[in-house]
Amino acid sequence: MADAIVLKNLTKTFGETVAVRDLDLVVPQGALYGVIGPNGAGKTTTIRMILSILFPDRGEMTVLGRRTALEAKDRIGYLPEERGHYKKMRVGDFLAYIARLKGADGPDLKQRVRTWLDRVDLGGVETKRCEELSKGMQQKMQFVTAVIHQPDLIILDEPFSGLDPINQRLLRELVIEEHRRGATVLFSTHVMVHAEQLCDHVVMIHRGEKVLDETIAGIRARFDPRSLLFEPMDPEADLSPLKAVPGVQGITRDGGAWNLSLQERVDPAQVIRAVAGAVAPLRIELRRPTLEDVFVAIVESSGPQGGDEHTRLRASLRENGHRPEVRR
Amino acid sequence: MKKILHIAYREFAATVMTKGFIIGMLVLPVTIGIIVLVFPRMINQTPPKVTGEIAVIDPTGQVTEGLRAYLRPERFVERREASSRQAAEAAPEAVKRVVASSPGGQEAIQRQVAATFGEVPQLDVVALDPGTDVELAKVPLKAAGSSNPAQAPRRLALIVLHPDAVVRTAGKERFGGYDLYVRSRLDDRVEDDIRDGVREAIVEARIQASGLKRSEIEALTQVDRPQSRTVTETGERATNEVLNTLVPAAFMILLLISAMTSSQSLLTTTVEEKASRVVEVLLSAVSPMELMTGKILGQMAVGFVVLALYGGLGIVALFSFAMLGLLDPVLILFLFVFFVLAYFSLAAFMAAIGSAVNEMREAQTLMTPVMLIIMIPWILWLPISREPNAPLAVILSFIPPLSNFVVLLRMTSTAPPPMWQVGLAIVVSAAGAVAAVWSAAKIFRIGLLMFGKPPTFGTLIRWIRMS
Repeated sequence: MADAIVLKNLTKTFGETVAVRDLDLVVPQGALYGVIGPNGAGKTTTIRMILSILFPDRGEMTVLGRRTALEAKDRIGYLPEERGHYKKMRVGDFLAYIARLKGADGPDLKQRVRTWLDRVDLGGVETKRCEELSKGMQQKMQFVTAVIHQPDLIILDEPFSGLDPINQRLLRELVIEEHRRGATVLFSTHVMVHAEQLCDHVVMIHRGEKVLDETIAGIRARFDPRSLLFEPMDPEADLSPLKAVPGVQGITRDGGAWNLSLQERVDPAQVIRAVAGAVAPLRIELRRPTLEDVFVAIVESSGPQGGDEHTRLRASLRENGHRPEVRR
Repeated sequence: MKKILHIAYREFAATVMTKGFIIGMLVLPVTIGIIVLVFPRMINQTPPKVTGEIAVIDPTGQVTEGLRAYLRPERFVERREASSRQAAEAAPEAVKRVVASSPGGQEAIQRQVAATFGEVPQLDVVALDPGTDVELAKVPLKAAGSSNPAQAPRRLALIVLHPDAVVRTAGKERFGGYDLYVRSRLDDRVEDDIRDGVREAIVEARIQASGLKRSEIEALTQVDRPQSRTVTETGERATNEVLNTLVPAAFMILLLISAMTSSQSLLTTTVEEKASRVVEVLLSAVSPMELMTGKILGQMAVGFVVLALYGGLGIVALFSFAMLGLLDPVLILFLFVFFVLAYFSLAAFMAAIGSAVNEMREAQTLMTPVMLIIMIPWILWLPISREPNAPLAVILSFIPPLSNFVVLLRMTSTAPPPMWQVGLAIVVSAAGAVAAVWSAAKIFRIGLLMFGKPPTFGTLIRWIRMS
């Protein structure tokens, strides 16, 4: 299968600032890729170069088999990070206008607009002016502009920012539907949880350089921290028997729970059974690395980070600076 | 191309189908309509009926009677009738036809004349003794400022003739004249009548005193002013001097208004698209060049609407006054040619500026040179239309985008430039427009996604030089 996007040694500078440096990337057709990294990492610049909105200083690329996205714009859907619309234009007219610019002109265009508005729970707003919609509604309308022409490649820049959890879920489902339809999806986010929930492959960018390009499963295998999260049934229980459990290397406090680090090459399943037998657990689970952990580990391995720098980095990878609960 | 047309149509519709545009378009004709139709009705042109006395101290004893005769009510009526006859003869043929064909046309004209002149003044000319103290004679004028007409004295004016007003003092070349004292708030039209009357009476007295015949003098000094006729290849017609002056101005104003309205609108929509961030959505669907071309074409259609609307109004006005024949159709063709050339240059500037700034306020600084270019034809309108082939006019004809305005001004003047100059100016203007659009496209491409500090001219030039 041909690749949807191929970038080779792509570099873009703005004055003295190198926004993207020697970026290589291959996105196969039909893939669902996430480009992640903190704000200012170079994600949007990369996306704009893929779309030929910006042009690289050097490097080569192909998009949907063409040397430039300009030759394949009608097959690409794009949701920019900065949402934009004509305030005074009616929602239906705006969507139809963008669809026409994407080559999706035809007798069924009005019906297609209505269908998509219904799909994003915006039925009935067709004749309203764009400025009359709430921010969340505008965002969903904007998403429709990216997909209304049934593109082969969908590029979403921070698609979930500003949406409430219910609409985030709706948008996630719509993205998955488009992916199932056969579209290649590339989206960027600085919130690692969103990438974990949606992608099967992740590209991490930090300070304009790619630091990771791997499947979610591969990342889990590579960055397995090999530790257990343990919470005893009785908060006052004596935990000293846990130290004697074969395979447990050490015990440290982790908030209201305990972190049990495991020795190399032990079977976590056996250790879990032994731990549960030693002290009655309220909760016991194998810790899985989050993308945030992975990202921070990679960044920290590239150089020492101070305490403040570490905190700032973690905050920038979370929505509103808080660590949300991970659900899959 | 289809995408460009979609952009052009949206641009056109979003501009033309707004209340702002419709109101803006109506402002000029409505203002002119108010000035022409409403203001005259609001201003009470009809003078108030004036009744009173004109005191005369006439040491010559030869003027008072002439003045009294001049200010008699029946003489006022005669003079008014003569004036309305003259006005009727000078009216355009179309007006004459309308008046002749309208059942109450003549009566309406007479009513209008009566309304304009007001009621005939009743002026009594009172001869005072030549030895009367002038200061005492002025006293009755002083209380005349009272707002109550019933309390106002009858004396409206005091005329004191100089002793040598009719017969020159020996050894002097000039005749004497007269002094005129009037009450406050005397209608200036009545004052003019008094002046005319005194002048007429003095002249009559001087002629009689000289033993000459007035009719003979008038016959000797009268040379009729002929109506010149403009001779053209297709025939000859009466020269309309007013139109000769107004046509170049009208053409230039039309060109400026249409080119400025549409290019200004292009600036506004570009800034709005950039500020609202919709531009990135558009750029994901079309190239910057397609976007700019679509926007320029859309606003050009707006300019054509303005041109057609105002130009059409002008043509209707000329047609209704049967002066359409005075307008050369070739000039209208050239008006459209120069509009397109001027518009492309201005639109390129505006698109570039609009793409480079973040909001309209920032655009003002960069607009200054463009506005100066616009102002030059206004400043040089009179010198160029009076001397259309002077070196200044010829040189400016080859400096785009000024060339468009200057050449059109020259072409509509009384001494149009040779065709080779017109052709060369079009070529130069077209080259200028292409260069402007090419440069603007470069700025447009880079500027649209640049936010933050607005660029300086130096930055814009650097963007143009970037590949």
